[in-house]
Amino acid sequence: MSDAIPSSTPSTRSRPGGGAVIWHYARQAGVLAALILLVVVSSFLNDRFLSLPNLMNVLRQVSIVGILAVGMTFVILTKGIDLSVGSILGVSVVLFAGLMESLGMAVSIALGLLAAMALGLTNGLGVAFAGVPPFIMTLGMLSFARGLAFIYTGGTPVPILDERFYELGNGYSFGVPNPTLIFLAVLLISGFVLALTPFGRSVYAIGSNEDASRLSGVPVSLYKTIVYVISGGVAGVAGLVYASQLSVGTPIAGQAYELDAIAAVVVGGTSLFGGRGSVAGTLIGTLIIGVLANILNLTGVDPFVQQLFKGALIVIAVMIMARSSRA
Amino acid sequence: MTEYLLEARNLRKQFGTNTVLKDVDLCLSAGEVHAIVGENGAGKSTLIKILAGVHRADGGSVVLAGQSLDLSSPQAALRHGIVVIHQELSLAPHLTAEENIFLGHFPRTPLGLINRRKMRDRTRELLDRLSIDIDASVPVGRLSIAQQQMIEIAKAISVDARILVLDEPTAVLDAHRVDTLFELIERLKAQGIGVIFISHHLEEVFRIADRVTVLRDGERTGTEEVRKVDQDWLVTKMIGRDFERQAKRKRSMGEVALTLEGLSSEGAFEDVTFELREGEILGLAGLIGAGRTEIAQAIFGLRRVSSGTIRVLGRLVSIKNPGTATRHGIAYVSEDRQAFGLLPNRSVRENATISNLARFRSFGMLRLDREHSFVRDQIDRLDIRLPSMQSEIRTLSGGNQQKVLLSRAMANRPRVLIFDEPTRGVDIGAKREIYSFIEDLAENGAAIIVISSEMEEVLRLADRVLVIRGGRVAAELPGSAATEERIMRAASLD
Repeated sequence: MSDAIPSSTPSTRSRPGGGAVIWHYARQAGVLAALILLVVVSSFLNDRFLSLPNLMNVLRQVSIVGILAVGMTFVILTKGIDLSVGSILGVSVVLFAGLMESLGMAVSIALGLLAAMALGLTNGLGVAFAGVPPFIMTLGMLSFARGLAFIYTGGTPVPILDERFYELGNGYSFGVPNPTLIFLAVLLISGFVLALTPFGRSVYAIGSNEDASRLSGVPVSLYKTIVYVISGGVAGVAGLVYASQLSVGTPIAGQAYELDAIAAVVVGGTSLFGGRGSVAGTLIGTLIIGVLANILNLTGVDPFVQQLFKGALIVIAVMIMARSSRA
Repeated sequence: MTEYLLEARNLRKQFGTNTVLKDVDLCLSAGEVHAIVGENGAGKSTLIKILAGVHRADGGSVVLAGQSLDLSSPQAALRHGIVVIHQELSLAPHLTAEENIFLGHFPRTPLGLINRRKMRDRTRELLDRLSIDIDASVPVGRLSIAQQQMIEIAKAISVDARILVLDEPTAVLDAHRVDTLFELIERLKAQGIGVIFISHHLEEVFRIADRVTVLRDGERTGTEEVRKVDQDWLVTKMIGRDFERQAKRKRSMGEVALTLEGLSSEGAFEDVTFELREGEILGLAGLIGAGRTEIAQAIFGLRRVSSGTIRVLGRLVSIKNPGTATRHGIAYVSEDRQAFGLLPNRSVRENATISNLARFRSFGMLRLDREHSFVRDQIDRLDIRLPSMQSEIRTLSGGNQQKVLLSRAMANRPRVLIFDEPTRGVDIGAKREIYSFIEDLAENGAAIIVISSEMEEVLRLADRVLVIRGGRVAAELPGSAATEERIMRAASLD
């Protein structure tokens, strides 16, 4: 019943709601505090950790998963999931590599990104109009798109010879790695769209209550389609960085990246039940996972053991959040 | 009645610094129906949750049949035979009624499998004892809400409930089903079960309860035998001041705003024709399931129309979805706040404006300042009580939630508004505010349809009443000629 909330008089009615608001920020702040704690502990564990080159290295390393995670945030906010981003990244990578020699850099980039968006569009149409559950639709796409990447390359990696293309993934601008700048650009644009446009507002609404959104006149199916196009397109952008860093188009590019992206989103406080979260949280989640991996590397922890840490981190983060939303 | 079955004394509960129950007493005899009434936020739910073991009281004691109780968990409460039937039923929809009744304590065969025959026999016996006539072998998801409620009560009896707490059991029932429920409650009484009955409908208190306790702001303002009091006494105790009965306001009507001609939707309603004028409030009365909500859904583009036409201000319109309905100036506030209304974990502000974000957009961006001032105005106009417009809407009381949804409907500057059960689950104070809000809208020229299962509500608001029965317009009554009896007759006689 609605009056379960402890409210009695007009003057004290404010308390429960006020608590909820504070709690909301506390959760965001909690994730940030976890990151800060991790950084502080790491700086004591290893004196190379806080060095500028190492920090830039962390930022560069998290960029690809970070970019994917930002696109994933849109999807998860609508209560969906996109398991196919790693495979879509793979398709875009082999297209960039395969088309560059014959069509030139600009055209191959455009076509690779368009292909990624087209695969995302397929996901979106399947989910929003054919009514396929997001998990199933994108699980199918995970396999399908990976298959496309293998068919296109015949299974062998395609080298990229245009050296200007290497800059994108390996170069620096203003002292910051280019991939990190791309990540931050994607992040800022997304944050802006989510917070300040009717579309962004509606994404939250759809995740919070799809039926109510539809009744309010929100074009639910269209917007749900668009979030998968965004997720696919953004996977293409991540593919750009990937192809440039490796200077080779391999059909196995991005395998299992979808799981890292989901982990970053969830650790960043975005709810898998939709309607709650932000790309700011996703940034923090990405950094937590990146910093953890970095300090484990620096301190020479066995890579196999690192997996345990990452797995435990994800579960503990979600446990804490589940507890807080029940309160 | 000196020996009470249940004796709760000086119950106290605080959430933070907010005291929600102050030394509340509640005594219940075996075979008694004890009603608890109060506005939303008066402490009814907290009281129930203490009895159910969900919340722990900060002070006071609960004694059952002379024994002091430990109510530290819902399981402990159940062990003592205290069973709460919540408004949202807690049955597993895919299991049969039998399976639901025996969930957690299935009769078993020697091999440890479920003894279906025994389960069936015991279900039969149980339902017979309570005179419940329901096929218990079908999945409960296929039963009506009323039947599901019966099954849930039967389930409680099957675990030897001594005290049954019914939390607003009638909120989801229409008048006939309420009768059936009350008959069941009478039989429970006869078997010595103590029933605590929560309701917003005061007339139900007079029909079913032996005694009534009124709560206000966490305090008990009165406990009395029902036959010794009247409605005015209850209302005065509930709101702490005299309840002035408001007369229906006079309004002048304008152009025809909405015309339905021979509108039909397969399987839902047929050949519905009516006109609605600016400044008019049209009541749609009828039983639950008569097709009233479906008509509203068709007007709002949520249901396919098989034949007939809709005109808005004389112009023929084709409404395919809520988006087009909105553009034609139609707004709809659903009867089911949880399922079709609230964005539960979003802010009041976002909830209020989601229906027309375009209004606050310039150059593709939301103008948060304009949005803010719109929401501010609505909060003032509807006297919505909340700490901040950033509060998540789920933290508000039912009445305040409903007011936010009314604001949402207003964001489109609609000409035609359809309110489906606008005061369901809303306390008396908020109810009156919602009524005067709707009347204000009509006075300002809005054309309004109010769908309600509450007779009083229809009679209070409507200039004209259409009674829907079996998907057809069964009667049209001018407001002056409409009485509870005539509406009931038209709604239920075939």
